[in-house]
Amino acid sequence: MRGESAIPFAFRVISWLTLAILLIPVVIVILAGLNSGDYLTFPPQGLSLRWVVAFLTSETFLPAFGTSLLIALITTLISTIIGTMAALVLSRARGRIVNALRVLFILPIVLPGIVVGLALYVFYISTDVGLARTMAGLIIGHVIVTCPFVIATVTAVLVGFDRSLEEAARSLGASPFTAFRLVTLKVISSSISAGAIFAFIISFGQFEVTLFLSGPNLQTLPITMYTALRYSFEPTAAAAGIFAIFLVVAATVTTSRITDLKRIFGR
Amino acid sequence: MSDIQLVNLVKSYGEMQAVKKISLHIKEGEFFSLLGPSGCGKSTTLRMIAGFVMPSAGRILIGSDEVTHLPPEKRDIGIVFQNYAIFPHMSVAENIAFGLKLRKKSQAEIEITVTSALRQVGLVGYEDRYQRQLSGGEQQRVALARVLVTKPRILLLDEPLSALDKALREEMKYWIKELQRTLGITTVYVTHDQDEALTMSDRIGVMQKGRLEQVGSPEDIYERPETLFVTTFIGHSNVINVTVKGRDNGKTVVSFGANTILARALEGEVAPGSAAKLVVRPENVVIGRTGEGLPATVLTENYQGALVRYRLSLGEQEIVVERQNQSNVSRFAPGEEVGVSWDPERSEVLVA
Ligand SMILES: Nc1ncnc2c1ncn2[C@@H]1O[C@H](COP(=O)(O)OP(=O)(O)OP(=O)(O)O)[C@@H](O)[C@H]1O
Ligand SMILES: [Mg+2]
Repeated sequence: MRGESAIPFAFRVISWLTLAILLIPVVIVILAGLNSGDYLTFPPQGLSLRWVVAFLTSETFLPAFGTSLLIALITTLISTIIGTMAALVLSRARGRIVNALRVLFILPIVLPGIVVGLALYVFYISTDVGLARTMAGLIIGHVIVTCPFVIATVTAVLVGFDRSLEEAARSLGASPFTAFRLVTLKVISSSISAGAIFAFIISFGQFEVTLFLSGPNLQTLPITMYTALRYSFEPTAAAAGIFAIFLVVAATVTTSRITDLKRIFGR
Repeated sequence: MSDIQLVNLVKSYGEMQAVKKISLHIKEGEFFSLLGPSGCGKSTTLRMIAGFVMPSAGRILIGSDEVTHLPPEKRDIGIVFQNYAIFPHMSVAENIAFGLKLRKKSQAEIEITVTSALRQVGLVGYEDRYQRQLSGGEQQRVALARVLVTKPRILLLDEPLSALDKALREEMKYWIKELQRTLGITTVYVTHDQDEALTMSDRIGVMQKGRLEQVGSPEDIYERPETLFVTTFIGHSNVINVTVKGRDNGKTVVSFGANTILARALEGEVAPGSAAKLVVRPENVVIGRTGEGLPATVLTENYQGALVRYRLSLGEQEIVVERQNQSNVSRFAPGEEVGVSWDPERSEVLVA
């Protein structure tokens, strides 16, 4: 044993290796996006900003990036609020119905995206609610997919939440709502942000459900990348990938700056 | 006024009654302990006083105010939990200031109050620490300071020492008692530890299975237990099965085996011939030579430093006797025939 760490050396080697393997796709996408050749190849034929410029001036990719960002932001906001409230109810109420609800709320995680997308698609067009191929309809789909992740992360912390903290606040003169706002919400805030990051990342990269709910005037980045690669194998998609990666990293870093993510992931 | 009155207080969870019709008057400035084994309803009673548990029936009064249906934040109480419940996202100073901020005190006043509270609990220099940087004893002090700055009418403590190690528990026991005496605040203290209850309390209420078995001063509870449960729960007692014979000169005459002896007078009438329990504490039994009292045989001798504990057979039954281990008292060996006696006033007859 050396140093302060009690983690065996072999474990550390394995975790670094795993991390490296996980990062390979990121490296490939970045290098492919900086390719100077005409086609999406790896290793790149040379480095240039040619395709980055192509992305920034593209009439399809750039708007799609904006659409994805907008949808991800709205989805994150809705999912975080609904998910947190659902987690509060699910972790505090008791009874058979609540147990059933608990399973029901988590279901979209295990359900294949194709199934959720198809179900929503059929529902939208057959009921004539006016949601087919609209942004509202797409956001509903994304909320269904991302909400369980918020519920799961927030519930995990709420299960261990010590109710006597709330009671202490009450006994010191706080109303139920004030106690919730000043104590509970603050204590679970890092898990809420973790849930929000999950929601954002998943919504931004969501493909299967989006495939059913998008329309000609409603193209997200993953859909655009997919369509582009089907017809021309050019590196603009990879350049768009670079921007997507940076956006997600930036979102994570900002959120973890605001709240102490280490408390969630570091524990 | 800040006395507490519980009137026929009941709490049921479905079929199960956790608290069964408790009536109790806790006086202003009193240190009152609720003592009893696990699950007897102590915490439930305390939490009803605090307002976290709604009584199924009965009333609670603090001073002259009926608080039965008030939420906790309107009751003007302070409560310290077993785990202290220090807000983990606030520093020590912010924790203590919590109640003051809710009361809309000025920043200047809050600072002064927090500083003097820190001095009072001996935590000057700890203002910027967080819960995870505090020991159990320090968290305890923060919890008390946080409560006391709001000047509650009554102080409620639920097993506040049970998470501490033995040495610290001893220290905190006297410290809390001293603090309570200085402030003169009406205090309800929940514990299952009889030593805590006996050393700290003005009065003790012994609870069992949701009922109050006996309420009285530590001396009352220890010297004059009224029920068999109290007798056996507090300290160790010898319980001898006897038959009541009658009265003699204000004392009760009882017999067991071939022995007939006197005991403290029974309250009320008991028919001669009824079965009863004679209760004697081990430290009240005197061992002497054969002939000095009831004949008994030493079974074992157990040396415990300051004490020597004997197990004796007395008639058909066994009793335990404790003697101070002083140089001038003789010791007895197993198998030795001895005589035992005790002051009738130090023995109790409880009708089974
Ligand atoms: N919310 C509840 N629902 C159902 N039963 C409960 C509830 N709270 C307490 N009880 C029951 O009421 C009884 C008394 O509980 P209480 O917590 O008052 O015991 P206690 O005397 O404080 O015990 P301990 O020393 O273990 O803390 C127990 O049998 C407990 O199981
Ligand atoms: Mg308890």
